[in-house]
Amino acid sequence: MRHSSPFREGAKAAIPVWMAFIPVSFALGVAAKTYGLHLWEILLMSALVYAGPAQFAALEPLASGKSALQVLLMTVLINLRFVVMSAAMAPYFRRVRRITLLLCLQLLSASSFVLPYAHFRQDSRSLSPEETGRNLQYFVGVGLTSFSVWVLGSGLGYWAAFRVPAGFEEGLRILLPAYFASLLTSELRGRTALLIGITAGVAAVPGALLNATWGWLGTAFVIATLGWGIERWIRRGSR
Amino acid sequence: MGNRAVDPTRIAVIVGMGLVTYLFRVGPQVLFVGRTFSETFDRYLRYLAYALISSLISTSLFLSGSRFEATAAPHRAVALLAAIVVAAWCRRPLVGMLTGTLLAVLLTWLRGG
Repeated sequence: MRHSSPFREGAKAAIPVWMAFIPVSFALGVAAKTYGLHLWEILLMSALVYAGPAQFAALEPLASGKSALQVLLMTVLINLRFVVMSAAMAPYFRRVRRITLLLCLQLLSASSFVLPYAHFRQDSRSLSPEETGRNLQYFVGVGLTSFSVWVLGSGLGYWAAFRVPAGFEEGLRILLPAYFASLLTSELRGRTALLIGITAGVAAVPGALLNATWGWLGTAFVIATLGWGIERWIRRGSR
Repeated sequence: MGNRAVDPTRIAVIVGMGLVTYLFRVGPQVLFVGRTFSETFDRYLRYLAYALISSLISTSLFLSGSRFEATAAPHRAVALLAAIVVAAWCRRPLVGMLTGTLLAVLLTWLRGG
């Protein structure tokens, strides 16, 4: 039996991500054109920043010539989530060559965090160098293909000024959350993990309504810490 | 619009945005590289990942910017639940995703949206 490479597996798993990225990146390209950015500017931004919310948010300040500090501060606030995602992924790439890892991490996005995370086996402490290498290949399979779709999509959107027909928007809107939730379903094992997952999902919306940038990230952090702390406390008590 | 020369200041800001974002992506990996975590900390990072993924799901589904999409929320919740149930039942995330997506389109169409 022929086994497919981790890169190819990752690329196949990322197909729904491409489907979701195409309209969003097209929309970004259209918006960039509307704001008067040059084609190369949006392509450069998609390649270097590779983070939808920060890119959309930067269009107006860039176009209106707001201060660089203001744009950078906004980028810091919006993209701070990558710190937490990168930290959660760190154990799975522990034995990978540093230079390779540093090059590949540009591909980290919400999607290239969720998909590989759900794919990696749970206990990261006993991973062999081969396993961490395969983990990285899978991550690159998801990340590189999605990244390419994102950059190309923003360029094509700019060029074609294409808009998604209204009837398809709702389906595209739910595509990725439904995929992530389906992946998470098989991952959440144990009462604590399940409770943390459900509570974080419910609390994220009011959290984000209170503070659009920090709210959902803050609630996720607090709920994970509380759940973990309570579980430790109960375990100690039962010894 | 968009056909004029590239603005060097804007390019510098875009490069700055890229650098800041890249630092956030690599920072934790540089700090934690080569370290073996205790079972407790390993579990904490796992719980943090679950909480983050759940939060990403609900915010991307129910919010548009900082606005709660109250009209669309009920049928999106139903579609999400259907995706979860189908994925758990047949153990195929793609089937769950397709079910949820198709149901969302169908419910929107039935609602006349």
